[in-house]
Amino acid sequence: MVNFQMMIFFPMLAGIILFLIPETLKAVKGIITILISVYILYLAFSVFSAASGLYQMQCTIPYISSYLILNVDGLSKLIVIFLSLFSFLFALYSYGYLKGKQSVECYYSYYVITIGAAMGAALAENLLFFIFCWGILGLTLYKLIKGHNEESSSAAKKAFILIGGSDSILILGIGLIFKLTGTYNISAINISTSGALANAAFLCLLIAALTKAGAIPFHTWVPDYVEHAPASSSAFLPASLDKLLGIYLLARICIQLFSLTAWATMLLMIIGSLTIICAVMMALVQHNYKKLLGYHAVSQVGYMVTGLALGTPLGIAAGLFHLINHALYKGGLFLSAGSIEKQTGEEEIDNLGGLSKLMPLTFFSMLVFALSISGIPPFNGFYSKWMIYRGIIDFGSGPDLVNKLWILWLGLAVFGSVLTLASFIKLISGVFLGRFNQKFAKIKEVKFTMWLPQLILASLCIFFGVFAATAILPTLFNFAPISGAQNLDGLWQSPQVSILILISIVLGFVIYAIGNIGKHRREDSFIGGENIQDETNFAPSDFYKTITEFKLIAFFYNAARKKWFDIYYLGKGFILGLFNIFSACHTGILSTYLVWVAAGLAIILLILI
Amino acid sequence: MNALIPLYVIVPLASAFIMAILGRLIKNFGKAVLILELLFLTCLTFSFILNSQGTLVYKVGGFPDTGDIPIAIYMVIDGLSKLLLLIISVVGLLTALFSSSYTREYTAERKFYVLFSLMIAGMNGIVISGDIFNIYVFLEIAAISSYILVAFGVEKHQLEASFKYQVLGCLASLMILLAIGFIYWGTGTLNIADISRQLPYSAHFVKFVSILFLVGFGLKAAIFPFHSWLPDAHSSAPSPISAMLSGVLIKAIGIYVLFRIFFSMFALSYQMSVTFTVLGTLSMVIGGLMAIGQWDFKRLLAFHSISQMGYVIVGVGIGMILLTTGGSKTIAAFSIFGGLFHMVNHSVFKGLLFLNAGSVEYATGTRDLRKLGGLAEKMPITASTSMVASFAISGIPPFNGFFSKLIIIVAAVSAQYYWVALFAVIVSIITISSFMKVQKYVFFNTPKRSYKNFRAIPLPMKFSMIIMALLCLLLSMLVLSPIRDIFITPAVDALINTLQYSAAVIG
Repeated sequence: MVNFQMMIFFPMLAGIILFLIPETLKAVKGIITILISVYILYLAFSVFSAASGLYQMQCTIPYISSYLILNVDGLSKLIVIFLSLFSFLFALYSYGYLKGKQSVECYYSYYVITIGAAMGAALAENLLFFIFCWGILGLTLYKLIKGHNEESSSAAKKAFILIGGSDSILILGIGLIFKLTGTYNISAINISTSGALANAAFLCLLIAALTKAGAIPFHTWVPDYVEHAPASSSAFLPASLDKLLGIYLLARICIQLFSLTAWATMLLMIIGSLTIICAVMMALVQHNYKKLLGYHAVSQVGYMVTGLALGTPLGIAAGLFHLINHALYKGGLFLSAGSIEKQTGEEEIDNLGGLSKLMPLTFFSMLVFALSISGIPPFNGFYSKWMIYRGIIDFGSGPDLVNKLWILWLGLAVFGSVLTLASFIKLISGVFLGRFNQKFAKIKEVKFTMWLPQLILASLCIFFGVFAATAILPTLFNFAPISGAQNLDGLWQSPQVSILILISIVLGFVIYAIGNIGKHRREDSFIGGENIQDETNFAPSDFYKTITEFKLIAFFYNAARKKWFDIYYLGKGFILGLFNIFSACHTGILSTYLVWVAAGLAIILLILI
Repeated sequence: MNALIPLYVIVPLASAFIMAILGRLIKNFGKAVLILELLFLTCLTFSFILNSQGTLVYKVGGFPDTGDIPIAIYMVIDGLSKLLLLIISVVGLLTALFSSSYTREYTAERKFYVLFSLMIAGMNGIVISGDIFNIYVFLEIAAISSYILVAFGVEKHQLEASFKYQVLGCLASLMILLAIGFIYWGTGTLNIADISRQLPYSAHFVKFVSILFLVGFGLKAAIFPFHSWLPDAHSSAPSPISAMLSGVLIKAIGIYVLFRIFFSMFALSYQMSVTFTVLGTLSMVIGGLMAIGQWDFKRLLAFHSISQMGYVIVGVGIGMILLTTGGSKTIAAFSIFGGLFHMVNHSVFKGLLFLNAGSVEYATGTRDLRKLGGLAEKMPITASTSMVASFAISGIPPFNGFFSKLIIIVAAVSAQYYWVALFAVIVSIITISSFMKVQKYVFFNTPKRSYKNFRAIPLPMKFSMIIMALLCLLLSMLVLSPIRDIFITPAVDALINTLQYSAAVIG
């Protein structure tokens, strides 16, 4: 019998106790946090080996025991194990990253509380307990960014308004579900998305899931947040935990809570495809590497949504596998970005360059992550994207309009992947390759506690890619609705192909070594005998300028710059417009107010009598 | 226990007069007496809540009833009164503590405490009166002392606000008095329990009188469209008084009396319930919309009081509708519980927010959001308590506002008032946005200027803010059924069993 309540309440309590330790002992707090996360990781493994089913938490207060039931099934096991893995790795990284930095107040307290709340949300059986934990995650998200200037406090505000707002909508959704089914227990709910109430409930839950995961049109908090938050916070919440939980909720919606009808599938497919394309287009033109990663964190959600929307075992397995892979490489990318930022203090791609020799470990891991996210075999991103493409093709055989459009969904997904590769070429070449800037001559590789998590994540990316078919899918993704997905024909035989790729790489090295390819002359660019100036240095992002100059695309980029697509600013404009109308009525003149009273009295009298 | 009921009026009234006389001679006398008085009332209320069941009646003067016509002045304490008394004394105690260091800058500091005590006496009197005319008398005591307190700083905008408040307040009192006159003319009695027995009279008469009451007490409770005085009055008053006005006064002299009249005095009518709910929804939406664009810290909070009172009214209003249409009594009880729970929560977090605004103003001398910024490091306790209060009012777990909003929304959906639930959700988002705005502009952001006359916050002010922040967290426990059964369920029962009030009082 696993001590389930320890997974949820122990971190929460520990977080509250950590508030009492003064900030000057930050290192101690960091070590405690690492120890807690190791313990949680251990517990997560025991949850993983526990039998599936509903567990009643031992609780000394009998009145709330009906809320404290945990639902341990394949899906929640999968999520829990990765939640705890990421919590551990990022805690380790935070320890080195935050050292000697003026950072967020009480960072570790909120960090630990986040772990507990995330576990609670992933394991909750009761929807009310679920939203309790889910809401706390929004709170800690807000507190893990330091609002020390205009931009960062705006980013925190925006993130919290969107997340908190979606939580309110989730409450409405849960109320509707209760109205429809009379229960709050997740495993007892199965609603068809037909009828106005069911549709409304579906949309409410969908909004909450998509906002947390960061899909269009509720994604706008992600790029702003990651640009201004400490890299460890960005890796921890928007890149991994919020994705895991958002997609977890979406998976629950698709698999269990609702049975999707054609229009719901259509809606999800449109959201998924739009997310892939629009976000990656935005990522292409970014100059700030953290913001670029932020847009990719949005874009990749599109693949997961698409996979889950398919509704077939293969599609769901693909979506979830892509979720795990995404958390691995995107978490890793943010860690690498944080390392670069800590060592150089620079956030613009164009100001960096040639760091590969100085930070070889970071370079290696970032290269692995970049190849993974771009879907290059044999890394993990390739495998899950392949599953998604395969799923879309299978999906095309269905009868509805949404099935008939399969070629469109497939094309958009593949095109998004191409653009991802394009933007990561910019990132890698801009930061690690190219001309070396003398300003950064004294830079060293980051410390052990920072490169170790990066390397672990990088090796996991390789491992998950190479052994996907033989080890990962049969063990982790072998539960009720999606079991058997890995046995379909035509899937990628990852180990064999990996061996081929390895052989070809070795062969390439051999040729490189025995031929005289290495003996070439190295010169600076020849520009008519002039000395090379800074302005003749071709910044990698210049190559991407042409994209913004196409007529039609330029229109969209301009609109995006003016925030026409940002639901936050649209909502803000609408609300402030209403405010202006009402505030014009509140003149502050007493006689007007007296008229209001008289009018109110008269209207009520007229209506009622 | 019954004999102790008059203490609720006698103690604050007597200490007000003692303060006025002896305060001249002894320094800090008023502060000490006020705090002791409220401490006493808090203990008394707790003992009432824990030790007594059902409805308690005390007949002032001890005149026996002739036949079944009550002659004496009745003082009645039932579940709803106990809840209100608890709010008045606890929030009053904490604000009094806060005022003890806040009011040093006023020249007439002594009178502040006298008026504060009178206001407490008035509110307590309203809550325990079993007789409609005494409610009017105590209402005037509370209202007049609040008029003076709003103008206490005697600056231009304070006097203007107080003047508006007085004019509209007098209009309200006038309508209430008119309605009471009608009632006396129609029934020949002023005792609430007796009126409810006499009333099956004429439907139009009852409706007309209840509309007069609705408008009169609606003005006091600042329900839309009668809310216009509130933003001025609540933002101009000294901050502890704003906390009292927003946190307690509008509930005790507005909302409470409306509930008492509609549930216990008149028979519930469908039309009035719907009107009540519609006005509540409108207050909720318009208060929220007006709040979000404000740049004055306290004015923003004041508009939110209108909006949050809307939630309370919606919660109780839906319960009323269900009771009149014969809907599920469980859902009605649940909805009313949500409304009352939110009322308790609102008094704590809104009180705390006004105290926060007060300490920000005390420290920096301004409450214009655009001139503030970066205070999180300078004022850690104010910053963290106001964060707690902002999360609580926005309905973020694990704070109390989350649970009451959850209950109101779920109840509205269960009762099939989907539009009301939708508006509640939208206003909740607006609330989050406007409090994120407060957090950003006051406590985060870059400091706009170097705060030349920065003053440190004294200990009593810090103490009462911390206690209130803890209450924001602890009141979440009220959802657990054993604690709920002690504090809120008696109030819900008192409202739901509409017929029991007169039976219990007159017997």
